[in-house]
Amino acid sequence: MGALKGAISARRYQVLGEIPENFTGLYIDKLNDNAFRDALSAAHKEERQGWVQVHNLLDTEFDDSNLWLYQQYAVFAMRVDKKVLPATLFRAMLQKRQQTWCKANNREKVPFSVKAELRETLETEMLAQTLPRVTIAEVVWNTREGWVLFHSHAEAQNDRFRKLFHRTFGFILRPFAPLDYLSDMPEVADRLMASGGTDLRSVHTEGDV
Amino acid sequence: MTQNEAADFGDAGEGVPGGADDETPPHIASDFYLWLWFTSEVGRGQIDVPDESPFTWWVDDRLSFRSAGEDKVNAVLTGENPSTTPEARAALAGGKVLRDVRLAIRRDDREYAVTLRGANIAIAGAKLPALLKTGDPAEIILERMFLYEELHWIVGTLFRAFGEARAGDGWSPFADRMREWAAGRVG
Repeated sequence: MGALKGAISARRYQVLGEIPENFTGLYIDKLNDNAFRDALSAAHKEERQGWVQVHNLLDTEFDDSNLWLYQQYAVFAMRVDKKVLPATLFRAMLQKRQQTWCKANNREKVPFSVKAELRETLETEMLAQTLPRVTIAEVVWNTREGWVLFHSHAEAQNDRFRKLFHRTFGFILRPFAPLDYLSDMPEVADRLMASGGTDLRSVHTEGDV
Repeated sequence: MTQNEAADFGDAGEGVPGGADDETPPHIASDFYLWLWFTSEVGRGQIDVPDESPFTWWVDDRLSFRSAGEDKVNAVLTGENPSTTPEARAALAGGKVLRDVRLAIRRDDREYAVTLRGANIAIAGAKLPALLKTGDPAEIILERMFLYEELHWIVGTLFRAFGEARAGDGWSPFADRMREWAAGRVG
């Protein structure tokens, strides 16, 4: 969290592109088109992702811009759901089903094709009973100045975010880098890049640390 | 760049649009953190910016170190004033470099605490000053973003000051002073 409360841990991006005038209506459609949607089947196991409102992860409609656009700041969140089965329990249950099958069919071993079928059936049953692991990361987009804060430093989350943002709005996000602070001081940036790290060991040496 | 031009460089399948991040050499952040620490400890830890109110900074309650050439943290000092401890300076004198630093910052009546992390000087765990606005989400967001922007500006101002010092001719004698300090002969 961080957009509305708590400490802020966020990666900053520059939005490469020009936001169209009167973008609100257009972006309502884009956010709705890429909003989080529940899977049609309870046994769905692939990762699902999409936008939700920042106020409640179950709110996935963006028709009312008063709920996500505050002056120049567009505020929403990326929700990612993934169902993960408990591996040890799954293996144990599969083993029991294989034993049951062998007994019922008076066989010593389960044929490969039957094994696959038992596995698939069990997976479907267990997925239907499993709640997804849900992660949320907030997004604050300054549409006037062209930068975005994504409230997560996790690499995988940031990769998902950049892809989903691009798919939704058509903009590439460029991560903010320290040398961006020196954008009007290119000679200083060049000298920093050419410098080595400062070594404070008593014997004076300077090398790339 | 227009939106269409941006799209030309965009997602061509599974990759992240725009490609991999630009890598900033890690020694730049480590030197920056060292400069922040030394100038607050031995200097006065204050910057006067033309036409802006000044601000002060000091190392708060956490320093973490890495070995040169590695990224992972291999020593962490926490608690009250870890930057003043002999262990902290000994880490520097032993060849370790800083990976993260937690700063406290004061400007006018506003106090911030923030961890600057890793080679990209990422802002983490940033505690903003107490909010004046409550209730209305719009007012809360506008106030928090104003404060975040001020913090971003402060970090940028510090980095620019560091950059000028690091790129200038005075860095070598400055590094000698830091070496004396790390060895416990100054401050």
